[in-house]
Amino acid sequence: MKTVRGARAVLVIVLLPVVVVVVGGLGSAIMQSVGLMPLIGPVRFNLDAYAATAQDLPVAIGVSLAIAASSTAIAALVGTAAALVVVSGGWLGRLVGMAGAVTISIPHLIGAATIGLLLADSGVLPRLLGIDADAWPPLVGGPWWVAVIAGFAWKESAFVALVVAGTLLTRVAQFDEPAALLGAGRIARIRMIFLPLAAPSLIVASTIVFIYTLGSYEVAWLLGRTYPEPLAVMAIRLFNDVSLTSRTESAAIAVVTVVLAFAAVAVASVAVRRMAVWR
Amino acid sequence: MAVTITTRELVPAPAIPPRRLPGDPGRPLTASRTGSRLGRVGLVVLLLGWFALPLLPLALWAFADQWSYPAAVPTEWGTDGLNSAITAGGIAAFGRSALLGVAVAAIATLIGAVAARALVAGWAPFPRLVTVLLFAPVAIPPFASILGTNVILLRAQVPSLLGLVMVLVVVALPYTTFTLRAAYAAHDMRYEEEARTLGASQAQVLWRIQIPLMAPALARAAFLAFLVGWSDYIVTLIVGGGQLVTVPIITASLAAGVGNDSVVAVLSLAALVPPVALLIVLARNGFR
Repeated sequence: MKTVRGARAVLVIVLLPVVVVVVGGLGSAIMQSVGLMPLIGPVRFNLDAYAATAQDLPVAIGVSLAIAASSTAIAALVGTAAALVVVSGGWLGRLVGMAGAVTISIPHLIGAATIGLLLADSGVLPRLLGIDADAWPPLVGGPWWVAVIAGFAWKESAFVALVVAGTLLTRVAQFDEPAALLGAGRIARIRMIFLPLAAPSLIVASTIVFIYTLGSYEVAWLLGRTYPEPLAVMAIRLFNDVSLTSRTESAAIAVVTVVLAFAAVAVASVAVRRMAVWR
Repeated sequence: MAVTITTRELVPAPAIPPRRLPGDPGRPLTASRTGSRLGRVGLVVLLLGWFALPLLPLALWAFADQWSYPAAVPTEWGTDGLNSAITAGGIAAFGRSALLGVAVAAIATLIGAVAARALVAGWAPFPRLVTVLLFAPVAIPPFASILGTNVILLRAQVPSLLGLVMVLVVVALPYTTFTLRAAYAAHDMRYEEEARTLGASQAQVLWRIQIPLMAPALARAAFLAFLVGWSDYIVTLIVGGGQLVTVPIITASLAAGVGNDSVVAVLSLAALVPPVALLIVLARNGFR
């Protein structure tokens, strides 16, 4: 009994940093955004920060959601295809698994830098393809955020692949082989066995990717354009701004981003619970 | 007595034809054949291209002294990029990044192990709350939580380096806890009970039973946490307050400028070495 109580005390102590960052961080962001933690001046509840950002915020939300949704869609598609290859085994499967593992371990900022070197109008791809810099579309810093989405989709497809393959590796064979024996063809097995079994982990992985992309700073900052800005870029720019009110505005954007992220978690958990495999 | 030795030609046993039922192709039914095999190889080639193509600029630019525009390959090879990377403080930054990664890995793996064991063994108080707290960082974008946390850390006068490690540990905890919770759930407690019955102390059980049995999962968790510290940019920038110049920080400031392609490629290649080396070590030990 004594050891359990001691162990509980240890657990509470080691969880302190989590409480500071999660509860304290969120709480302080909310309080700053409503004027309860001002840098100077009186403590007064107000929604000035939200009103001040009201003009740019809808655009920023739109840009962030669009980047996150398209990156997640491509990552889920490519990641599922890669997981299919990994799960079906053989040395080809191992090769794709290794390529995915290496891609995951690349820091996001480094990934953004190399995507920039590849896709810029003086980048490696137009050089190799022999396309003139003027004829090359503005992928980096252009209106369609192509380089940003490519950077996220590339890195996150590897994440989706390894999560989905990881949960399927032990389970798919026991259904796949009997189905093949009973005469199910390739397409039928993908549709009736692989995809239903993969769906819950695919949704979980896609949600993590969506939230990560929604709140990521460095890729959009390095490869995106200066206006309109995604949420994270706008928040960090305001945070580093010299004017005194801009800190509260950046806190307001942080709170809005967290609300969007929690909404994504809520939608995903409803979707996962409805699945047959989960029940 | 005379021994006569007779030698005989060794005749190989006649090859037994593999037993197959009529219609058995001799390979698992789930293996790809002809047309679909071609499709599978095509898909693999596409996927390998997708994963590898973005790394191509690093290989070309890292040793390009000059690469004037339309040329398809560098016009002059050399080590200018490497020299500028060293002049920019690349080696010290590499060391700082590695230290940060190791610190985050050590602390996050330890806390993750304590929490995972508590959750699996059932002695964690408020298990649902603890789980939500530990996994919340996945659902909260780091930039959002640090804008709030930073104010608390500043008002509490926590040294920026300590605050940085703390925030990164919290970011890494979902990964370590998840990995270790699965491993502890599969861990057979009877080994530990057996050792205790035979007179081993708690410390002996920890060092000689629990840690060796959990080593693969601990290594995997530590690798993921190392990646968090090694890769981080925005937390280092905001909470570190510009004091800790790591590889991502240098690379970002150079990549945002113009004409630094070669040095950016060198730094990026260097940033790939530790994670890939650790990945190979993990794979070789069967830890993946």
